[in-house]
Amino acid sequence: MELQELLSKALAGETLAIARLISLVERRDPTAHEVMKHIYPHVGNAYYVGITGPPGAGKSTLVDRLTRTFCAEGFSVGIVAIDPSSPFSGGALLGDRIRMNVKKKPGWDIFFRSMSAGKTVGGLAETTREATRILDACGKQIIIIETVGVGQSELDIVSATDTVLVVLVPESGDSVQIMKAGLMEIADVFAVNKSDRSGADSMAESIANMLERRTTFRKSEWTPSVFMTAAMRNWGIEELYRGILSHREFLLKEDRLKKRRKTQIRAELLRLIEKELTRITWEHMSRNNNLDQLVEQIWARKKDPESAAREIAVQVERQLDLSQS
Amino acid sequence: MANNPEKQVCIFTKEQLDSIKTGYDDWFNNVLKDGDREEELAGKYFTHSGIPVKMVHTPADVSHIDYTEDIGYPGCAPYVRGVYPNMYRGRPFTVRQLAGLGAPEDCNLRIKYLLQHGANGVNILFDLPTIRGYNSDDAEAEGNVGHCGAAVDSIWDMDAYFKDIDLGTISTSIVTHLPSTSIVIPGMYFAVAEQRGTPKDKIAGTCQNDFIMETCVGSGPEILPPPVSFRLQCDVVQFVCQNYARFNPISYNGYNLREAGTNAVQEVAIAISNGIATAEELLKRGMNVDDFAPRMSFFWDLHNDFFEEIAKCRASRKVWYKIMKERFGAKKPKSMLMRFHVQTAGVTLPATEPLNNVARSALQGLAATFGGCQSLHIDSYDEAYSAPTEEAALISLRTQQIIQAETGVINTVDPLAGSYYLEYLTDEMVKRIFDYIKKIEDMGGLVTAVENGWLHREIANYNLKYQKKIENGEMKVVGVNYFRAEEGSAREIEVFEYPETYTRQKAKLDRLRKERSEQKVKESLKILADKCHTDENLYPYTLEAVKNLVTLGEIEELFREQFGLWTFPLIN
Amino acid sequence: MTRPIKVVMAKLGLDIHWRGVYLVSQFLRDAGMDVVYIGNKFPEQIVEAVMQEDADVVGMSTLGGNHHSLGLKTVRLLKEGGLDNVKVFMGGVIPPKHVPALLEGGVNRVFLPDTPMQTIIDVVNGSVSV
Repeated sequence: MELQELLSKALAGETLAIARLISLVERRDPTAHEVMKHIYPHVGNAYYVGITGPPGAGKSTLVDRLTRTFCAEGFSVGIVAIDPSSPFSGGALLGDRIRMNVKKKPGWDIFFRSMSAGKTVGGLAETTREATRILDACGKQIIIIETVGVGQSELDIVSATDTVLVVLVPESGDSVQIMKAGLMEIADVFAVNKSDRSGADSMAESIANMLERRTTFRKSEWTPSVFMTAAMRNWGIEELYRGILSHREFLLKEDRLKKRRKTQIRAELLRLIEKELTRITWEHMSRNNNLDQLVEQIWARKKDPESAAREIAVQVERQLDLSQS
Repeated sequence: MANNPEKQVCIFTKEQLDSIKTGYDDWFNNVLKDGDREEELAGKYFTHSGIPVKMVHTPADVSHIDYTEDIGYPGCAPYVRGVYPNMYRGRPFTVRQLAGLGAPEDCNLRIKYLLQHGANGVNILFDLPTIRGYNSDDAEAEGNVGHCGAAVDSIWDMDAYFKDIDLGTISTSIVTHLPSTSIVIPGMYFAVAEQRGTPKDKIAGTCQNDFIMETCVGSGPEILPPPVSFRLQCDVVQFVCQNYARFNPISYNGYNLREAGTNAVQEVAIAISNGIATAEELLKRGMNVDDFAPRMSFFWDLHNDFFEEIAKCRASRKVWYKIMKERFGAKKPKSMLMRFHVQTAGVTLPATEPLNNVARSALQGLAATFGGCQSLHIDSYDEAYSAPTEEAALISLRTQQIIQAETGVINTVDPLAGSYYLEYLTDEMVKRIFDYIKKIEDMGGLVTAVENGWLHREIANYNLKYQKKIENGEMKVVGVNYFRAEEGSAREIEVFEYPETYTRQKAKLDRLRKERSEQKVKESLKILADKCHTDENLYPYTLEAVKNLVTLGEIEELFREQFGLWTFPLIN
Repeated sequence: MTRPIKVVMAKLGLDIHWRGVYLVSQFLRDAGMDVVYIGNKFPEQIVEAVMQEDADVVGMSTLGGNHHSLGLKTVRLLKEGGLDNVKVFMGGVIPPKHVPALLEGGVNRVFLPDTPMQTIIDVVNGSVSV
């Protein structure tokens, strides 16, 4: 299929075309940049929900249940679920889809995509953002991102979504561990899942305590709510769903959503600029092969490292000026 | 080991043992060649489950064993040597062969064929839709109706299955793997017997009824949560114990656990852990241990490692005895007897050069006999492809008869007892089974171990390890990776196909739906749905439903709706 | 930059034996592929997964005798969905005499019992031009 045809089919909501677009981006196909350029004007209509939490918290099952609720309320849903890659082979066993056991009702519109994390560490795959934007542009109204969930600090989710749901279980450990993982900073909504097990109440209580303490020294307008769920038994899903929506309503007031997204754009832009500059610098250096020379000069104490770095920066700067004029 | 060393009944005196040990050292250092000695010191040999195997075992390896307390006599505690004093002299193991293919009417013919050829019990198998609780005309059943077992949708099918067969004279193993169907399908059998006027106390047999099968060993598109499956399992045990004196309501299915991927220790330990969990639940329900323990039976898989498998059988009896006596305070001797059915290991039967499987199965069947099984099914050589053909089934039956009638091994009880190697293995096995049971208990019990995916991971890890050994040739499979067969030497196997089963079952279901009282159906389903949310035993209500011509699929769909579905925790 | 070969692995319909399909999934992962393991699924769900995941390969395992009915139905639905490029493999207990009909129906290769894992890995690798 020609790219134009693919794009128009995808934007019209055709599943196969959407899937292929995501693959182009995943593969860093030469057309990937072109794809995102065409997609971007259509982005921004969806609401992005991030789901993160430690392994075994039941994130996938919760995603399945929330998806049902969103669908029943008439939303179309796009899901991207990330699983870890094997550090040895680079391959991955992507198992989140197994839990999407929805007996789909007619009219339900769900697009589920599994991604392997590759070498990234922030909880998302390198092209997760692009994939969700494609889903957004192609008409999915709710975008759900489920992070890797291997227990590392998976904080990238906060820069890619509007509402972050942190899923914990009664056994998730003491408050110190949760604080350390940085989850308190990023959570907009908490779910204590598997709350049919003992210890759920005290888990919920300690989260609430932490939140209270937090607000004493860091003023925040939004106090995350804590929900008790047992996704397997369909307990508390409706309440959690409403909890997510009320965070959305909060954001929609006083331009908060706009502010949050602009902050995200700023961060992403800076990150991308940095990446571009790094690329240009590398290209410049490999063209002139001056890295080795500089290393020798520094080794011989003819130059100090900082001066050497500045020298390169000046060269690159000059080159940029040239290319502009 | 005896509590009182003074009274320990040792086979050898201390002096004799010392001299045996000196003799061994002498042999080891002076008779063995250097290379062999080094190899032995490197400790390279293990049983399949990982128990170290020496080049030669001596009385020194079993010197801590007290004959009377640890081994004893057949029919006596701790039952290592067998559950009956005279064992096979009194009654040879029951020759139980499979019958299950196509429609119930086809099975009826196969059952009659087997009974005429000397079988005294039958195992009846079901097709996948029946096993997983769907009707033949449900969308999910497409392509599986009548394959690998018979379709049973309603009580009418059960009636056809046993047409012209007196239910009061045979012992029937109803191979319902899952508790959710064990609470329905044996009920159809009971109801048919009732309609024919067979007295309840004449109804003999077994159903499998194991929640591990439902939630761990077998995967499926729609699975009930483990606590629910466990509850149904206990409902079946309780109801049957209270109503059918000669029907065993549960067969703890070590077999399929083993086939799915566990070793001999895990097989027995997990099955017994389920026995412990059931016992605790039934005690909570107010039953007395001696009212249900005698009715529990087990189902082992006899695999390739000949001596380890025999040791497993002997050890499992001892472990069960100790648990029932010491932990649950059982009083009746029958409560402490572990009776088990054996099937030879289907997983060891490759499709390559299938006739070799006759030899494999015969050896496994022989091990089962040495292990003192109560009944035996020898797999047919074509297991890897289909439910057995008539020819293959007959060879299996004949293999059992050859063991019983020609080899002489059943003339004396537990003939391998006293083998230093076997007693050493049996003793090790007992210890390792207890350790594994403790591991499960420390985790919060078996239901938890399944719910959190631990058991699934144990199985997956075992399989990966085992497969890697096959891939690299460390584990030898004759004809497959060892003395590999020439390309094209695979023998074409006749496969039963029953394309007409679907049409027949569909027609029967259509007629059933026309003839039954819809009001009665609705009523019985409504009551059952309500009872799901109480602590009451559900069996009386499923029994009532099947009598009112409610189908298997309807009851199972009700369970799925009322209890919700659970996801197989394979990847976490 | 490419992405790993993406494989959707499914148990066909009601079949209960998960050992083989899961083993193959693990071996393919260890050979560097991205394996989407979807458990027991019916043809419509398998095709949906293959489409949304834009998989290169789909593997279906069955020991339950539904290789003809559900297996070929899956192949048909893949074609109808415009997924002609996807390579289809089947494995499990399938009588050798049924294999030709499956190949004719569009299955690329059938792996019978006793097939070494390395053979499966090689065939899958060789089938996809990345």
